[in-house]
Amino acid sequence: MTEITYSEVTADVLRTLVRPKPAYFLLLLGFVTALGTGVFSLAVQVDVGIGLSGISHPIGWGFYITNFVFWIGIGHAGTLISAIFFITRAPWRTPIYRAAEGMTVFAVMTAGLFPILHMGRPWYGYWLIPYPNSRMLWVNFKSPLLWDVFAVSTYLTISVTFFIVGLIPDLASMRDSTKGPRKLLYTILAVGWTNSYQQWIHYARAYILLAALATPLVFSVHSIVSWDFAMSNVPGWHSTIFAPYFVAGAIFSGLAMVLTITIPMRVIFGLEKYITDHVLQSVARVILFTSIIVGYAYTTEFFMSWYSGIPAERGQFYFRAFGDPALLPFSEGSTLGFPQIAFWIMVFCNIFAPLPLWRYKIRTNLVALFIISILINIGMWFERFNIIVNSLQRDYNPQVWGSYTPTIIETGITLGSFGFFFTLFALFVRSIPALSIAQLKENLDPPRKNPTQQD
Amino acid sequence: MERGMRRRDFFKVLAAGGATATAIAGCSDPPEKLIPFLLPPDNIEFSPGIPVDYATTCSECPAGCGMVIRTREGRAIKAEGNPDHPVNRGALCIRGQASMQTLYNPARIRSAMLQQNGQWSEVDWAQGEAAFVEAIRNVSDPAGIVLLTDRAEGTRGHLLDQWLAALGASPKLVLDPLGQNAIKTANEKTFGRKEIPQYHIDQATFLLNFGSDFLETWLSPVKQNRQFAEMHAVKDGETGKGTFVHVGPHRSLTGVNADRWVSVNPGSEIELALALAKSELQRRRRELSLSEASRLESFFEPYTLERAAQATGADLDSLKKLAQDLGRAERSLVLVGGTTTASNQATALQIAVNLLNYVAGNIGGTVQFGANQEIDLSTPYAEVAALFERMHAGEVTLLIVDGANPLYYLPAGVGVAEALDKVGTIVSLSSAWDETTHRANIVLPSLSAYERWGDSFPQRGVFALKQPVMAPVFPLKASEDTLLAAAEALELTDLAGVPNFQEYLKTSWQEIQRDAGSKEPFDTFWRRSLQNGGVFRQVAFSSVVRLNLEVLGEDMAAPELGGEGLVLIPTASLRHRSGEGAVSSWLQEIPDPVSQVVWDSWADINPKTAAKLGIRHGDQIRISSPHGEVLTAAYLHYGVHPDAIAIPLGQGRTQSGQASEGVGLNVVGLLPARADAASGDFAYLSTRVSVAKGEGKAFLVQLDGSPRQLDREIIQTMTLEQYDQEEKPLPAHGGEHGGQPRPITFYRPRDETPGYYEPYRWGMTVDVDRCTGCSACVAACYAENNIPVVGKERTALGREMSWIRIERFLEGEGDDYQTLMQPMMCQHCENAGCEAVCPVYATYHTPEGLNAQVYNRCVGTRYCSNNCAYKVRRFNWFEYEFESPLHMQLNPDVTVRSKGVMEKCTFCVQRIHRARWDADAKGREIRDGEVTPACVQTCPTQALTFGNLSDPGSQVSRNAMRGEAREEHRLRQYEVLKDTASLPAVTYLRKVTRHQPQEA
Repeated sequence: MTEITYSEVTADVLRTLVRPKPAYFLLLLGFVTALGTGVFSLAVQVDVGIGLSGISHPIGWGFYITNFVFWIGIGHAGTLISAIFFITRAPWRTPIYRAAEGMTVFAVMTAGLFPILHMGRPWYGYWLIPYPNSRMLWVNFKSPLLWDVFAVSTYLTISVTFFIVGLIPDLASMRDSTKGPRKLLYTILAVGWTNSYQQWIHYARAYILLAALATPLVFSVHSIVSWDFAMSNVPGWHSTIFAPYFVAGAIFSGLAMVLTITIPMRVIFGLEKYITDHVLQSVARVILFTSIIVGYAYTTEFFMSWYSGIPAERGQFYFRAFGDPALLPFSEGSTLGFPQIAFWIMVFCNIFAPLPLWRYKIRTNLVALFIISILINIGMWFERFNIIVNSLQRDYNPQVWGSYTPTIIETGITLGSFGFFFTLFALFVRSIPALSIAQLKENLDPPRKNPTQQD
Repeated sequence: MERGMRRRDFFKVLAAGGATATAIAGCSDPPEKLIPFLLPPDNIEFSPGIPVDYATTCSECPAGCGMVIRTREGRAIKAEGNPDHPVNRGALCIRGQASMQTLYNPARIRSAMLQQNGQWSEVDWAQGEAAFVEAIRNVSDPAGIVLLTDRAEGTRGHLLDQWLAALGASPKLVLDPLGQNAIKTANEKTFGRKEIPQYHIDQATFLLNFGSDFLETWLSPVKQNRQFAEMHAVKDGETGKGTFVHVGPHRSLTGVNADRWVSVNPGSEIELALALAKSELQRRRRELSLSEASRLESFFEPYTLERAAQATGADLDSLKKLAQDLGRAERSLVLVGGTTTASNQATALQIAVNLLNYVAGNIGGTVQFGANQEIDLSTPYAEVAALFERMHAGEVTLLIVDGANPLYYLPAGVGVAEALDKVGTIVSLSSAWDETTHRANIVLPSLSAYERWGDSFPQRGVFALKQPVMAPVFPLKASEDTLLAAAEALELTDLAGVPNFQEYLKTSWQEIQRDAGSKEPFDTFWRRSLQNGGVFRQVAFSSVVRLNLEVLGEDMAAPELGGEGLVLIPTASLRHRSGEGAVSSWLQEIPDPVSQVVWDSWADINPKTAAKLGIRHGDQIRISSPHGEVLTAAYLHYGVHPDAIAIPLGQGRTQSGQASEGVGLNVVGLLPARADAASGDFAYLSTRVSVAKGEGKAFLVQLDGSPRQLDREIIQTMTLEQYDQEEKPLPAHGGEHGGQPRPITFYRPRDETPGYYEPYRWGMTVDVDRCTGCSACVAACYAENNIPVVGKERTALGREMSWIRIERFLEGEGDDYQTLMQPMMCQHCENAGCEAVCPVYATYHTPEGLNAQVYNRCVGTRYCSNNCAYKVRRFNWFEYEFESPLHMQLNPDVTVRSKGVMEKCTFCVQRIHRARWDADAKGREIRDGEVTPACVQTCPTQALTFGNLSDPGSQVSRNAMRGEAREEHRLRQYEVLKDTASLPAVTYLRKVTRHQPQEA
C-alpha cells in the first residue's frame, strides 16, 4: 500500500460518508422494513403470550435462543480481528477491523435482545440482574443463564469501549472536516483529540491494553454461552467439548459474516485499494481452519454418543441424522423431517461448502467468497438450531417427545433481528468511517517533505 | 370473558353460604340447614378459609360411590371419595373426580325457557311452571304422558312412579345406554334370580374376563379396581399373585391390564365359554349331583375346545392352556359383559358364562347372589324403542325428559328425531343443554345432582344419601320438586301434603331407620345419616341359588352380525362412559390412557388389517355401515382383532356445550336398531362395516411422543419368576432412616446438610403393579390444582397443563405385546435439574424436600423444563380462562397462574400446610397419613403412597426401601432415570409380569 498517500486515505474513507448511492437507501429501506416486522411481531407476542411462538413442551427453546447464540457467535469474529489480530500484528486486519468491530457491537446488541424477548414475562427481565432490593431477592449464581447475563453484558461493555476508543482519532478527523450539528456531535465524541505526540503515546498504550482485555472474551463469552447447554443434562447438550466447539463455530460464523459485509462494502464504495484480495483470502484461510475444527467437533459428538452407551444419547444423535427408528405400531420410522434437513444443511454448509477455499483462485474470487460466506451463515444458524431444538425434541423420556414448528411470529422476530443488525450497520457505515483512517495510515509510509531522502 | 369470580357472584355465594342457611330448591322454599361431613368445632359451618365437607353420593354413573365434597366459602370445589362408604372406600374414578364439572358445567341452563317455532325465550320460573302445568292439563288421555329419565335410583324412582301413577300415566322409562339387563335376565333364567350378583374379584386367584370393561365403566369400576389390585398385585412378603386372562376381540384399559389376552373372533365367546365349561365339568363333575352333571354333560357334548378354536380363531394350544389354568385355579371367577359382548345374543353369552361359573364352583363363592345391587335400573332398550314407536304413531302427547337424551343415545333406526316431531309437547327437566333438550318446548332446568336431595342403594346394607352441598349455582329447582310443584298445582291427591322432595325423602328414610333398627329420634338419625353420607351396615349375606336346568334349552347360536367388512366394536369410554362425560373439558383433555388420544374419537384397527387396506396410523378413514357413514382417524392397535374395528362411545355430541360439540363422532350412528333378544338391551355388537382410506391424515392428537420406551427404562418390570425367587424382606423392619444411593459428588448431600429434611422430607411411592392406568389421579389433580384446559389445538403442540400424566409404553408386537403404564409427576428431586438452572430462584429446594415453584418470581425462561429429565413441568403459554361458572370451582388455596410462568406438581403443598396447621395447633408433628395429595387420595387401587421419607416408620419410607440398611434388600424399588443423578423423591415399584413379550 505504499503508493497510497495519507490524504488519499482520508479522502477515500470520508467519501463513504457523504454521497450514498440510491442502492444504499434501497437496502436501508429493506432493513428497516424487516426491523419493523420484528417489532410488530414482538409487540403482539408480548401482549398475547409467548405461546404465539412455536415453542412448546418439551421444546422450551426454539428460534429465539438459536438466534441468540447465532448473533453472539457473529460478534466473536469482530473481536478476534480487532483484538487478537491486533496483538499478533496481522497487518491484513487493518482495513476490515472497524467494520468487524462495528459488526461485533451490533451483533451483541441483537443477541442481547433474545434472552429477554424469549421469556414468558419479559417485563421482568431485569430480575436477572443482581441488584439490592426491598424484597431481599437475589439471583441464582449456579444458573448458566445468569452467567450469560454477565458474559454478554461484559462483552457488550468491552466491545463498545474498544470500539469507541478506536474511533477517537477518526472522530477528530471528522470533526475537522464537517460543519453544523454533526460537528458538535463529533467534537463531543472526539474528546479533545489534538493528534499530539503525547496523546498518541497514551492512546497506543490504552488501545493495546484494551485489546488485551478483549482477547480472553473471544474465548470466554462463547464458552459461557455453550455452558447454557453443556451444564444441563439434556442428551445432545451435556457434552464437555461444547466450549471449544462453540468458540470455533463462533469465529467460523463471524468471519463468514465479515465477508458477507465487507465484500458489498468493497464493491459499493469502491474500496479495492484497501480491502484487497489478500485481506479477503486471509479471512478465508481462517474460515477454512475453523471449518475443520467444527467438522471435527461434529464427528466427535457422534462418536461420543455411541461410546457413552447411553440409549438417550445414542437415540438423540441417530434422530438428528436419520430421524426416528421404527416405532411400531405407529410408524415405520426413519423419516427425513425438518430436524434432519436442518442437520444435513448444517453438515453441507459447514463442512463441505468451505472446502473450495483450499484453492487460492476461489479465495480471491469475490462471487465465490460471497456465496460461501452466505452458505456458512446459513449453516451456522442451522448448527445452533440443530443443537438446541433437535436435542429438545428427543430427550430422555420418549413419552414426552415432541416436535417444533416455528410460527409466523417467531419468524417475524427472527427477520426483525436481521433487520435490526443491518439497519444499525447501514447507519454506521454512513456516519462513522467504516475503515479506520488512523490505522490505515499507520500501515503507510509516512509522508516525506523531501523525496530525495527516500532510500 | 372475565377471569376468576366476579365480585357480585362472590357476594352472592358468600351471602348464601355465610348465613349458614341455604335456599335449597328455588327461591320460594324455606332455607334449609346443611349437615357437614364432620362437624367443625362450635358448629360453625362457615368461616372464611375453612373448608367444610359434605357427604353425598356420586351421580356420574349408577355405581353409587360415596362422596365427600369439599366446599370453601360456600362453593363446592373438590369431590373426594367417602372413606366410610363400603363401595368405594374413599376412592373415586376419573368421572367421579370430574363431577365438579357436572356441577359447574358451562352448558347448564340458567333459567326456565320456552321455545316457540325455534325461538327460545327466557321466562320466570313461575311462568315456566305454569306452562308445564298447562301442558299436563291439556293432555286428554293420561296414557299419552311419558316420562323418560336417565336415573331413577332410590326414592327418586318411587316418586317418579307415584307422580306418574297419580296422573294415570304408565311408569317411567329409564334410559341408560349401558344397561345391564342381560345379566339380570340371564341370572333369572339360570338361577331364578333377576339381579346383578356380587363378583368377588378380590377373592379369585384366576380371573377370566369375557370382554367386560370392569376397570372402566362396567358395574362398579372403583370397587372393581380396588378388588382387582387386591387380587392381581403382589403383596409385600408374599409370593405369587392372581392371574387375569382377558378374552375378547378388543383390549381396552381392562384388557391391557391382563396377563394374557386371548384374541377371539368377535361374537364367538359363547362357544369358548361352553367349551371351557365342558372341560371344567370333566374335572369337577363329582361336586355336582349325578343327574345335573349328566344333563350338563350332554348339553356340553358338542362344545369341544377344537370347535371353540375353530369358532374363535384362537390357537388350540392356547385354549387348552386356558382350560388347564382355569381348572387348576384355587378360586376362579369368570366375568362377562360390556359393549364388546352386547350382541343380540348377549343374554345367551351371560348364560354360557353362568354355566361356566357354576361348573367351576364359583357360584356362592366368587359370585354371590343376594347382594341387592341397585346399580342398574335401566329400562331395556327394546322398551324405550317401543316408546318411540308409540310416538311415531302419535300416541304420545306429552313427553317429559328428565336428564335422558334419546336423540343422542339411540340409533338412527329408532327415528327419534321424527318421533319427537310428533309429540304434542316436550318438557325437558335436564340441567344442561343437550340434543334432546334443544327439541323441547318447555325447559325447566333441574339443579345438578350435587345441589339436590336423593339417595341410592348400591348394595345390601348401603343406604347412601345425596344432599345439596352448596347453594344452587343458578336459582332453579330439582326436577323432583318441579314435579311436586306441578302435582300441587294439579291438586293430585296421591301427592298431597308433600311440600318438597326432601320431605318425601325423609318419609321414606323413616322406613330405613326402622330397618336399621335404630331407636333414636328420627331427626338425630337423619342428621347422623347426612353427616356420614348415609347408613352403612356390614351385612353378611349368602344366598344359595340352584341351577335351573331349563336354561339348557336356550339358543346358544352365534350373534347376528349384519353388513360386510370388519366387525364394529363400540367400546364404552373410560372417560366419557357412553357420552355423559363428554361435556367435561377435563375428561376431554385427559388422554385415554391406552390410546393417549385427547379431544377426539378414533378407530382401533389391527396393523395387519391396516396394512391390507393400505391405511397408516393417523390416516383419515371412512367407515360405512348400512346405517351410516363416518370419517375418523385410524389408530393402529395390536389389541384389536384383525377382523374388527373398535371405536369408543361417547363423542360426537352436537348440542351439549362447548367442550363436547363437534368433538369426534357418535358411533351409535353406525349401528342398527337391534336389541338383545332375551333381555332387550341394546345390541352394540351387531354390524360389520366397510373401511376405506379417506383423504390424507386426520387431526388426531396423541400425548405419547413414542409408543416405545427404547431401552430408557422409564417403566420397569420384573417377571413373577424373578420376583418369587428373590427373598422378600418385610420392609416393616427397615433399619435406620437414610437417603438414597448417591453418585460420587463434590457436594454435601442434602440430608447431611443442616436445615434440610428435618423433620420432614416429603416423598411418594408408586406401585406400578397396582396401577391400572385408570387416570383418576389426573382428574383429581385438575380439580385440586386449578389446572386450566387448553383444547385440542394447543394440546397438539404439547401445551397441555396436566401436572400428572399416565405414561404408556408398548412392549412386543402383534398379539404378543404388553402395555405398561405408570403415573409420572414432578419427582421432587434432591438434586433437581430445574433448581440449579433457574436464574432467579423461582424454583428451589425447600427444607422439606419439596421442589418449590414460586410463580411470582418466575420470569419464564423455561430452562427448568428443558433441564428436567422427566419433563413434568408445564408452562403457561397464554393467560388461560375458566369459562363461567367453572371459575367457581377454583380452589382458593391454590394460585391461579398467569401467563408466562412455569408450574408443576407441588405434592399438593396446600394440603401439607393444612396438616401442619392442625398439627401445630395440637402441638405435635404431622403424623403419617395426615397429608394426602389429591392423586393419592383418589387412587382406587392405592398404587400411590405419600408421606415423610425422613421418618423410617412411615408407610412411604417402608415402601421406598431407602437407606443403606434397606437398600440392599430392594426388590421392586427403582427410581426413574436414575442415571441422571437427580435423586428423585418418588420411588417406583416394578410391575411384576407373568410373561415378557419378545422385543422386536
